[in-house]
Amino acid sequence: MSTVLLFAQLKIRLLAGNLRGDLQRKLGFIFTLLIAAGLAVLGFFLMSLLRLAPADIAASLVTVAFTLFLVSWMIVPLMAFGLDDTLDPARLSLFPLRTRRMAVGMFTASVTGVWPVAMLVVTFGALVGLAGGVGGFLLGIPAVLLQFALCVVTSRLITTALSGALRSRRGRDLLAVAVLLVVVLAQLPNLLMNRGFADPAAELHRIAAVLRWTPPGMAAHAIADGGPAGLADLAVLAGVVALLGWLWIKALGRALVTPDSSTQGTASVRKGRGLVDRFLPDGPLAAVVTKELKYIRREPRFRVSWASAVFVTLVLSFSLGGRGDGDAVAALPVFLASIGAVMIALQSANTFGIDGRSLWMNAVAFGSERDLRTDLAGRHLANAVIAVPLLAVIAVASGLFAGQPELIVPGVLAGWGALGVGLGVGSVTSVILPYSLPERMNAFSGAAPGQGGQALAASMGAMAGIALLALPILLPMALGLVWVCVVAPFYGLLAEVLGRRLAANIGFARMPELLAAVSKAS
Amino acid sequence: MTDAVRTHGLFKRYGGQVAVAGVDLVVPAGSFAGLVGPNGAGKTTTLSMITGLLRPDGGSAEVDGFHVWRDPVEVKARIGVLPEGLRLFERLSGRELLLYNGRLRGIPKAEVEQRAGELLDVMDLTAAADKLVVDYSTGMRKKIGLAAALLHNPSVLFLDEPFEGVDPVSANTLTDVLRRFTGSGSTVIFSSHVMDLVERLCDWVSVMSAGHIVAQGTLADVRGERSLNQAFLDLVGGSRGDGEAGLTWLGGRKQ
Repeated sequence: MSTVLLFAQLKIRLLAGNLRGDLQRKLGFIFTLLIAAGLAVLGFFLMSLLRLAPADIAASLVTVAFTLFLVSWMIVPLMAFGLDDTLDPARLSLFPLRTRRMAVGMFTASVTGVWPVAMLVVTFGALVGLAGGVGGFLLGIPAVLLQFALCVVTSRLITTALSGALRSRRGRDLLAVAVLLVVVLAQLPNLLMNRGFADPAAELHRIAAVLRWTPPGMAAHAIADGGPAGLADLAVLAGVVALLGWLWIKALGRALVTPDSSTQGTASVRKGRGLVDRFLPDGPLAAVVTKELKYIRREPRFRVSWASAVFVTLVLSFSLGGRGDGDAVAALPVFLASIGAVMIALQSANTFGIDGRSLWMNAVAFGSERDLRTDLAGRHLANAVIAVPLLAVIAVASGLFAGQPELIVPGVLAGWGALGVGLGVGSVTSVILPYSLPERMNAFSGAAPGQGGQALAASMGAMAGIALLALPILLPMALGLVWVCVVAPFYGLLAEVLGRRLAANIGFARMPELLAAVSKAS
Repeated sequence: MTDAVRTHGLFKRYGGQVAVAGVDLVVPAGSFAGLVGPNGAGKTTTLSMITGLLRPDGGSAEVDGFHVWRDPVEVKARIGVLPEGLRLFERLSGRELLLYNGRLRGIPKAEVEQRAGELLDVMDLTAAADKLVVDYSTGMRKKIGLAAALLHNPSVLFLDEPFEGVDPVSANTLTDVLRRFTGSGSTVIFSSHVMDLVERLCDWVSVMSAGHIVAQGTLADVRGERSLNQAFLDLVGGSRGDGEAGLTWLGGRKQ
């Protein structure tokens, strides 16, 4: 019991210590608190409302909901690993703690917090919504607690088993890309919905029938059943929780004696081929382009943002053009290529952010505004080397897909124009509103602590700027003067050149401030 | 002899806290200079301001007679920098990092390749040349950082804690290269709080404490009859009795 108290206190201290003296974080925490409380109340309310639904639908819904809870407990802590000190067992390895005590302590630490409490409240909502009769309530309470324990223990088991890998560079790189997978998976139901179900209720029952025999399904069934079958469900569920707990203790014991492999391991050997380099005249521009292209290939944050730009365009094309031939959005190729171009260009809206703490290497080499202009040009060129053919592919594919082949060429031209405008605007926001990107990508935050506002302002500013500058081309095209697209690439190039000049002018004068803004510790 | 570095009343404050309170640093050309001081004395801030990475709130700095903030082209061509705690471009390999650096400064590719090869060889990094910097150890990072700082043959080299966390073998390589560099008439300025090392390497010492220069001159002048360590403790007021009060429970195990 003392262990429980100690670890609960430790966790609360850590949470409080995180907030000390930082107004922005305090506000953030209060915000989180409000959201969690709101979600808890709302979740509880919705779950208890199931009482009004037909019993079989309610049972199926709870089964699906419990499974979703479990899955999110498995995934979310992985993405946010490192946000919570008590989660990393290596920090405790020097204390004389027995593994069992430690497991109890870690369990306590992980249920002490805003989100676990909110989760517990929502899970109890299922009890109100589903339990039938006295038996249901009697079995329901342990079922809810077991379901909650299952979520916590499973999530602990996964983070502990992976903690070694998560501390190595390769593991973290992999995880950063895995974030994308989660985003894709989250889109899946949406895409399925678009295709349309014949009968939602039947579909729900079909899914629930499969999930019925998974541990969360058993918990839901136990609450609904409230008889001997429910008792059997609970016994199995308790067994599963105990087994997972045992595995977790084993993994914990192993993690404590396995050395920290973050600096070991085989480093990969890279030799650049430098294809583009061969076509460019030797000099700083070629150096920047080569470096940028390597970064796009090797830096997980680059990979993720490129992939998501392409992915969003794909999703859009499915949802806008995919419902048969009749009602595809007019001028789909133009629309998609422009959106794709803007998505790609927005990556450059904080172009020095990815350099982060390494930007000083450029800063000590740049003696004049011209050097910074060359740097920006190199970055834009590297971007265009990939984006220009990609946009052409998007325009051609969507033109054929939507049955609007006559709009392919205008689509390509408009996309290129939008790219130029985007890069020009992006270089200006990069120097006016620079911010640090976190070293490690996670799904929840795009900027270092305390710079969220800056990040929001930068992307909003970039989007507004792009929209405004693109109007002179897009407006006539929307009014039917499609031939205007012929000027679009030249207009884009002009915007890029002017934006780049302006950015170099502003940026060179405030290089030290720029450096400080992108070097914030995260 | 001219001065490689000269600052006048260099001043920087962060919020209400003054980090550097009017520093007049002087380093003669061709010297191997050590900038020593306790943690928080303002060494890193001072070096950042001289190398143009941090804007001072007041005062001026000159390198080889050129004003750092008014004549950046001349100054930046003349200095090499290895800051502490800042990152290198981690997703490049060691060789690619050197190539990028040299070409960014406008040196022709063939020339950079040759220089990079020799530097990697001297730094004992040839085997790791094609591995990503993100996988390098601390000692390898300092060595590749120094190689990058030397690549364009600067006349003044600024190193912030170059030996921190470096194993003796790598440290030896670093000192060999630096000695050769100063032997040819170039200047090295490095910050450290390892007095033995400064005493062994430097012929010029500047002592900083709480944002001020408290002593400056040749090693012999600053040190006097004492060891540099003792001189340093006297200067920054580090010795405070023999620390017998309290801690009575520590040690003294009963057998």
